[in-house]
Amino acid sequence: MRSTFHFQDGDSFYEQLLEAHQGLTRDESDLLNARLIIVLANEIGDAKVLKECIEAARQLPAQGGL
Amino acid sequence: MAAEYAQTPFASGYEFSEGTGYRLPEYEFVEPPEIRSGETSHHPIVIVGAGLAGLTLACALARYGVRCVLLDEDNTVGAKGASSRGICYTQKSLEIFERLGVYDRIAAKGIQWSVGRTFAGKDEIYSFDLRQQSNYNLSSQPPFINIQQFYIEGFLVERIAELGHVDLRWKNRVTAFEQNHECATLTIATPAGEYRMRADHVIDATGARTPFRGWLGASVTARKGDDRWCIADVRFSKHPPVERHTWIEAPFNENRAVWQHLMADNVWRIDYQMEPNCDPEQVSKESVVRERLARQFGSDCELEVVWVGPYAYRSECVDRMRHGRVFFMGDAAKVVSPFGARGGNTGVSDADNLAWKLAAVMKGRADRALLDSYHQERHEAAQQNVQVTNRTSKFLRPQPGPEKLFRDAVISLARQHAFARPLVNTGRMAIANPYTRSSVCDATGGQPVQNVSFRWPDGSKGSVNDLLGWADGRLLLFVFGDLGGHAVQRLKAITETMPLRAVQVVGGDAPPAAIEHVLDTHGHLQGACHVFGHAWALVRPDSYVAATGESIDATLVHAVGRAMGIREAMERQAGEVHSPKLGAEPISSLDAPRAEAA
Repeated sequence: MRSTFHFQDGDSFYEQLLEAHQGLTRDESDLLNARLIIVLANEIGDAKVLKECIEAARQLPAQGGL
Repeated sequence: MAAEYAQTPFASGYEFSEGTGYRLPEYEFVEPPEIRSGETSHHPIVIVGAGLAGLTLACALARYGVRCVLLDEDNTVGAKGASSRGICYTQKSLEIFERLGVYDRIAAKGIQWSVGRTFAGKDEIYSFDLRQQSNYNLSSQPPFINIQQFYIEGFLVERIAELGHVDLRWKNRVTAFEQNHECATLTIATPAGEYRMRADHVIDATGARTPFRGWLGASVTARKGDDRWCIADVRFSKHPPVERHTWIEAPFNENRAVWQHLMADNVWRIDYQMEPNCDPEQVSKESVVRERLARQFGSDCELEVVWVGPYAYRSECVDRMRHGRVFFMGDAAKVVSPFGARGGNTGVSDADNLAWKLAAVMKGRADRALLDSYHQERHEAAQQNVQVTNRTSKFLRPQPGPEKLFRDAVISLARQHAFARPLVNTGRMAIANPYTRSSVCDATGGQPVQNVSFRWPDGSKGSVNDLLGWADGRLLLFVFGDLGGHAVQRLKAITETMPLRAVQVVGGDAPPAAIEHVLDTHGHLQGACHVFGHAWALVRPDSYVAATGESIDATLVHAVGRAMGIREAMERQAGEVHSPKLGAEPISSLDAPRAEAA
């Protein structure tokens, strides 16, 4: 898994992500996220990288909450 | 007292399928000699449970010429008056049944299929054709045959009667068990009274409700589920395609899953997923099942209900497949959900794995340590099958929350995008499990060898199973490519002193050396053995590769010894043959045949 910034345009992606969720109910939002995870995971494909990505997402910062 | 048990001789051509329900053969109870003599008998091998796994083991032992006692508490195959349990037999199982001599009957009675389709609502979202997959189409056996389990069991009972060597005792129920360093002792109840039997090796093939786990204090790793199903075995006026159809969300079953599969005698197995809190008796009433069938096939479809019943499954695996003198086999060792046909087929491979090892030990060809590899290999297979089926169970019966959310995500994506379709998991079909942590397989081995074809020197067709039969419980060495004169002599010396038969495999015009040879012009045999170029592959009686290598030297001697569990003894032998004091050159450049047999 990369530890360095790899987006061509991170701010734009972040904006698109938020826009995609606009006006959705909580359930619709959850489904969108789940679908997006599956789509992105397929783009990555590599089993080791995917495993590391899931582990990285599980590890919240030790202090200060979010 | 014995009179209440109908006396039915072994008979060919019985029909289970007349009328509604199955009529199963009944076998004769014979009073065991121990009851009259009052003596406790002693047997090297006692198998408890004449189901699919127990019968396969007994039949395989009989083929190796090894005697055993097979005990069964009932006097029939299948479950009396009940549905077939297993229906779907893998290529690996069919290859094993071919070796045992019952394959032709299975093929004649059963239904071949290779296409599976998965639907969500009315949309097909995933399909496969196993015949298009290169890993299936080289064997002499098809990818799958569907047939009611009791047919195979019945064929095995009759085959065992032909082969002899098996003391098959119906209506003999084991009621107590103990073991010590000298032997195991079984207490057995029969209609004619009780008796005791001692044994060196006991195989527990009594199924999911085995009493042996309790007797032995065997620990079990289990996972609970709440999935409930209703099975309907039916005959129709309509004839659906000979394919496996699965619905994840079937509109005709309140958006729950449905399975549709053909068996022998034109009987279709339809499985309906039920609500977890349903009343099993209510949902499996014939009238209720008929309503469901009418919703699926139309109210104009005439049908005959052969059998209906509720069904639930567990997921369990013993932590050790061997406890002293006892070997767990089939469902006694592990229970899985039915998705992917990983229940009965795993039991068949358990039996095939243990059979040759027991036979090799009985014939003095292998060390007793070989028997420990049964746990190493078959527990790995059991764990893999438990894991694979648990994944399917989670997909088919997701818990509310994230499990349901991600399934919804996958199903909706699968409707739109090809990439998501393989994630739809209605069962991953069983395979011959590879062995990666066996003490008797080299790192280059552990892979199954398919029953591929080749040509005998006279041009007629042969298959791997023919050669395994020729090896008769010994290891089988394939040497690919030409062989130098020295290599031939070394090979002769090895085959004369070790439990091994060797055959040279030549391609087109390569000259055969002075050993048995076969023609493999398309390289199928070589491909099946997972080697390339000049190489050898050491194949076990269960058609798994023990090891592969390149030259005929001490590595082969070591591999043979290791495959037979006699690694240390064989290494000693190899060391003597090639020791510097005998004047031999270093092993890598050895070009002289062994000077003398050790």
